[in-house]
Amino acid sequence: MKKKSKNTLWAYLCSSPSLILILLIIIFPILYTAYISFTNMNVYHWFDFEFVGLKNYRDALFVFDSGFLSALLRTVLWTVVSMILQLVIAFVLASLLNIQNFRGRRIYKTLLMIPWAMPGYVSILLWKTGMFNSQFGLLNQWLEKLGMNPIRFLAGDVSAFICCSVVNLWLALPFMIMIMDGALQAVDRSCYESAVLDGAGWFQRAVYITIPAIRQIIAPSVLITVFTTFKQFDVVYLLTCQSGARTGANIHTILTYAYENAFITNNYGYSSAISILIFVILIGFSLLTGRRKKER
Amino acid sequence: MFRIHFGRLSKRFAAGFLCLTMMVFLLAGCSRQEQEADEGPVTITIWHDKEEEVAAVLQDALNQLAPDIIVKLERKDGLTDSLKMVGNDPNAAPDMYFFAHDKIGVYAEMGILAPITEFLEQDVLDGCIPMTLEAASYKGEVYQLPLYFETLLFMYNRRYMKDEEVPSTTEELYTYMQENTRGGHYGFVEQHSTAYYAAGWLHAFDGYILKEDGEPGLGDEAVLRALEYHKKFVELMPVEGEYATVNTLFREGKAHSTIGGPWLVAAVREAGIDLGIASMPVVEETGKPISPYSGVQGVHVLRVAAEKKHDAVKKVLEALADDSVGTSMARASGCAPARISCYDDPQVAEDDMVMAMYETAQNAEPMPNMPEMDVMWTVAEKLLVDVNMSGKDVRSSAEDAQEQALKLIQQMR
Repeated sequence: MKKKSKNTLWAYLCSSPSLILILLIIIFPILYTAYISFTNMNVYHWFDFEFVGLKNYRDALFVFDSGFLSALLRTVLWTVVSMILQLVIAFVLASLLNIQNFRGRRIYKTLLMIPWAMPGYVSILLWKTGMFNSQFGLLNQWLEKLGMNPIRFLAGDVSAFICCSVVNLWLALPFMIMIMDGALQAVDRSCYESAVLDGAGWFQRAVYITIPAIRQIIAPSVLITVFTTFKQFDVVYLLTCQSGARTGANIHTILTYAYENAFITNNYGYSSAISILIFVILIGFSLLTGRRKKER
Repeated sequence: MFRIHFGRLSKRFAAGFLCLTMMVFLLAGCSRQEQEADEGPVTITIWHDKEEEVAAVLQDALNQLAPDIIVKLERKDGLTDSLKMVGNDPNAAPDMYFFAHDKIGVYAEMGILAPITEFLEQDVLDGCIPMTLEAASYKGEVYQLPLYFETLLFMYNRRYMKDEEVPSTTEELYTYMQENTRGGHYGFVEQHSTAYYAAGWLHAFDGYILKEDGEPGLGDEAVLRALEYHKKFVELMPVEGEYATVNTLFREGKAHSTIGGPWLVAAVREAGIDLGIASMPVVEETGKPISPYSGVQGVHVLRVAAEKKHDAVKKVLEALADDSVGTSMARASGCAPARISCYDDPQVAEDDMVMAMYETAQNAEPMPNMPEMDVMWTVAEKLLVDVNMSGKDVRSSAEDAQEQALKLIQQMR
């Protein structure tokens, strides 16, 4: 018993630097943001800020107007669409990579990882100018060759949403393919051999063997990706509402909406209150997802 | 048995060692810099975000203060955010910084800036172009020593637009656009829906994004008239009016003329364009030229340094206020000096770009340096996009923008 508690103490001691690091870079900022949200810290009270109670939260609720609600719904839609596409495409591509005796596996795997190697900011702006631009974009160059008029892909709400989803897919697929690929390799080959002997086709093997086998392995990655997609800012902001390069589309997610309606005010107390409320929404979403997973 | 025991011990030792190493690295960042010794040369640190040529001119001028004063110019990415974080921390803040004037209001309200008049006599400042001093002032105090300024210029490609064809009025420009916008070519392009660029059109109608009293002016009749008038020009430009599209069109010879900043000149000349620079066209209806914003670049003093290193800061500012600094910057990088006497220098007077900026400066409006401007960029731009790109009604869009601006400004406090 004594030895066990000694080992536990030793384990905590060894992990203490990591725990301190987590405390400093994750827990402390959250607590500090919560603290700031109860003060009037802004440009006019930068160093002499005072406690103002729930005032910022009361003001923050004004941001949660109809615009915010539609941004919230759009964010949910964005997350659902992105996740479905990512999972399906990554599964298909990873399955193709795992075809037995497929010679080009390594080359294709490397090629599929390229979007991951590029900084997201650069990729997004390359897509914006190189693909979607009405003057120089590749898509419009093709349309021009076909004798059609150029299309402003990022100007309409629906087309801009599709473009953002495509770019997000480009950025996120390598991670999902890598996870799927690893999970597929862990599936026992003998199961497939038995299934083939029983006359199962590709679809049946995928539904009854592959998906149940990899579900537990990919679950944490899927959860992480759900949150990354939910709080996505770069893709939507850089493609449609970057300062000096707006396109006219109004497809705000909750973060871009909060940025334009609160964060630019330099009122850190007010912005912190909004951040905490968004944080609560995300935690609620997390609890909901966790409970459903448990129920299964 | 011994091996197993030794293995456990070595694992424990390795784990303990790694744990200790990580802790040391973790806490190393918390160490504080040593305080500067009271004796010996005084070190002045200046943060900046400028190109090498400009920084080199400054460094050369300030090296003359050695060995009593050592000036270190440090290039800092994210300078404005860093100043917000450490502006009042004597251990982390610089002594001075070299940046545009538009953040003066924010830092003055935060209380991290010292007025420049604590170090320089008024007659030194009187030698600056009035527009630059106006830009450097906030609530009656001058917080910046202006060194040079930038403003937008009317540029044209001589291959297509001959010198005698350069429009002197906006109606002439419109006629030129109608005649020459076809087959992938544009008579004139600009960043029509970017607030910084479109402001020139608003000013020509006596409209303002942000008025002197800090009130937004987007709902004013003058702004409505300017937006309505500007729309017909936008119809003859590419819909995507952002930096990359506009500048690429001009650099590739597909746009005959544009309104751009001096930062564009080097790239355009490198692309082999025979570049002409002219005065801004005048809006016939108001008799005023397109009057763009100007950005005044200069040196600011942090309050923490003003108290501790007063004499050294004073000498640095006096050295920078010398005409030779302005003329050297104009020669090295085509900057338009803030001091009037610099324009007597023959080499400066022969530089057509510098002189064009000097001429434009007579009508240019300094970018507002009030904190409220931080929210106005976004709101004004949204209005421009609604009107120019989404085809929404000017009046209702402007009213919405004005309401949004008032709400955001209220939220700043």
